Amino acid sequence: MDVVAILPEFLPVERIKEAALSVLPDLQIFTDTSFDQVRADVLIVTTFTKVDDNLLSKFQGLKFIQVASTGYDNVDIDALRAKGIMLSNIPVANKESVAEHVLSMVLSFLKDQRFLDREIREGRWPLLTRSFDLMGKTFGIVGFGAIGKKLAERLIPFEVGIVYTDIRRLSEDEEELYGVTFLPLDELVKVSDIISVHVPLTENTKGMFNSDIFQKMKDGCIFINTSRGEVVVESDLVLAIKKKGIRAGIDVFSSEPVDPESELLSLENTILSPHIAGVTLESQERFIKETMSNVLRYTQGIEPLYRVI
Amino acid sequence: MRVSELFGRLVKEYGVGPLFGNPGSTEVPLLQHIDDYILTLHDSLSVGMADGYSQYRGYPSIVNLHAMPGVANSVAFIQTAAANHSPVIVTAGQQDYRHMVYDPLLSGNLVGLVSGFVKYAYEIKSPEDVSVAFDRAFRISTSPPRGPVFISFPMNFIDEEIHSDVKKPDRVSTDIVDTSAVEIIAERINESQNPAIIFGAEIDEYDAMDEALRFSEKIGCPVFSEPLGSRASFPTESRRYAGELLPASALMNLTLAEFDLLLFIGADITIYPYLNTPLLPSHRLIFVGLNGSMRLGENYISNPKHFLRSILPLVKKKGDYLKKPDFSRRTRIAKARERMETEYVSHAIAKHFPRFTLVDESISNSEAIRSEFGYRPRGYFTAKTGQLGWGLPAHTGITMAGARSVLVIGDGSLMYSIQTLWTAVRYGIPVKIIVLRNGGYNILRSYSKSFYPSLANAEFFKFGIDAERIIESYGVNVKVLDRDLKAFEWLRDTSEPAAVIVDMPEDIPDLFL
Repeated sequence: MDVVAILPEFLPVERIKEAALSVLPDLQIFTDTSFDQVRADVLIVTTFTKVDDNLLSKFQGLKFIQVASTGYDNVDIDALRAKGIMLSNIPVANKESVAEHVLSMVLSFLKDQRFLDREIREGRWPLLTRSFDLMGKTFGIVGFGAIGKKLAERLIPFEVGIVYTDIRRLSEDEEELYGVTFLPLDELVKVSDIISVHVPLTENTKGMFNSDIFQKMKDGCIFINTSRGEVVVESDLVLAIKKKGIRAGIDVFSSEPVDPESELLSLENTILSPHIAGVTLESQERFIKETMSNVLRYTQGIEPLYRVI
Repeated sequence: MRVSELFGRLVKEYGVGPLFGNPGSTEVPLLQHIDDYILTLHDSLSVGMADGYSQYRGYPSIVNLHAMPGVANSVAFIQTAAANHSPVIVTAGQQDYRHMVYDPLLSGNLVGLVSGFVKYAYEIKSPEDVSVAFDRAFRISTSPPRGPVFISFPMNFIDEEIHSDVKKPDRVSTDIVDTSAVEIIAERINESQNPAIIFGAEIDEYDAMDEALRFSEKIGCPVFSEPLGSRASFPTESRRYAGELLPASALMNLTLAEFDLLLFIGADITIYPYLNTPLLPSHRLIFVGLNGSMRLGENYISNPKHFLRSILPLVKKKGDYLKKPDFSRRTRIAKARERMETEYVSHAIAKHFPRFTLVDESISNSEAIRSEFGYRPRGYFTAKTGQLGWGLPAHTGITMAGARSVLVIGDGSLMYSIQTLWTAVRYGIPVKIIVLRNGGYNILRSYSKSFYPSLANAEFFKFGIDAERIIESYGVNVKVLDRDLKAFEWLRDTSEPAAVIVDMPEDIPDLFL
């Protein structure tokens, strides 16, 4: 079975190839899409490669695409459907990393770490604190998939109240297991001291955090987005930061890399990271392992995991 | 007829049977015409069973104890019945008067022994007394505040012939309302800026839960339940419910500091431990109910159900208190799951035994159990006195009275009255017992941790008992709870007497200051 991978140049391609060849000896790796026609049953891509009709037209016999990430909004699902090609993602490899990233941003805000760090570096020794405990706060998780669940698991020892919203409500037993209470989005944003977003980018979620929703949040609410930039109307977020004192931890932007003129970069109440919440040394290892395992599963005639279509 | 036959007929006609007891030779003559007898293997357990049976039915029950030792054995249970407002008719055999001058074996001053705890105590002086004394005892036990009464039967009268009619008891009305007080209290409420209501056990005792809810909805202020209440006092799922008052004076003061009028309805104040803080010094306090404890403030004697019905049209809305959602509760439960800690176990019990009547003697776990289970009519019973050993016999009596009931009890408390299991098996009473095993007197360890830290880990607060084997030895099926909680399902569904043991962490809980 022919397997092709398209990986961006900045990844350690040689190391990946070395690891992959032990299980997929005929794996072909490209670092761009400038090739013409190629024979492949399986295609492995990351989110950095746009998968559309143009790319698909270069493959003969393609039956299965494995996206080596959680997100797959770079893939034209309709085009795949029209050609009868299966699609899987890897929703399990970086969930721990993203959850930890969210916690780091939240704790930085609550403990006022940027301010305290700056004060000391500038020769001052502040005696007053604007720090808060996470304990006792209400933490809203928007989107309760694999990452949302991992986040909830990590929040339980902090003794917070956890509310969540999702298109699918958990069973009572699952809610009990994760210690969470379901609320519609409108209610969740009203009661939460901290809100973290973990939804995929779809027609329904695009722009779901807009001025209407920000208006309903508590003043000074901490808002973390590590999902997709387009889920938030950035200009509305900027206004909310200015007018309601919203503190925003932003890992994803409407355009990436972020526009150097973006007001988000100049606001005090923000902590920013370059779409890297899910990227740790450990998570990259897990992505490679899970991707290879799933492709191997398919090449051996076993139903692949994490089917999208 | 003979006195023994009269006694049997009175028990039947007054509907107070079965007769709970543990007889001795002194009582044998009195039992000749008793055809519904429940034997307990210690005198005191019969009082505990009768207490539960009475409270659940809201009707007097009857006990027969064995002379001086039997009554003495039972005094703590009689005191609890009094505090619980439980109308138990306690009877006992007394020695033959013809040789009382010699202080015969088993004799003693029975009336003197129980007088501090019962509402009426009488030793029969003549066979002709029996009908009158029994009728008075019955009626006094049911008049408010309800409580135990006592009759002593000297042996020499039991086989004597008498002429006596036995009729059903006349009604004792407790529908008391002080109508002028209703107007005064309504005025006080309407004048107040920020009132709060405290409901207590009399709300359940006099079936006033619906009235309490309607009143709270109309007035709109926060509702608390009395500290250490022995019964349900208010539907805890109500949006007006603000929680249970803690029994320590300083904590109660803090909770209630913002209110200018505290309206205690069917409620009492139980305090423990002592704190050097005056109790509610700067509030206007109004107590309405039938217990007549007269501890503080203005006191009005009225049946809470009828009082609430009467005052409802007269009061104005004073606020719109809404309980804040407690989103952290679920998280606390999830956190407690890992080590099977109190909050998780309490939640699991409440989830597996919905709409059951909870009998609570879980002591150090009681607050969490009560909070998870919630209050509903005839849904919660505990010993008002804090007595250990009451729970198992009371649960057995409550189950006999027809309740779907579950007992939650600590392993220490279980051992105080373990023989009750024999009675449950003997009479096929489907007791459901959850033993929270923490291997020690954790309430004492917690108290020590707060006030005498060097004793917190004292060896004499700890014990290890093989509860499974002890329970099994009475012929009761028992399982130890696994993480799958299947044993709770088994306990809920079985129709046999059964028990589940839950191994809890042996940490010292923070229950005091």
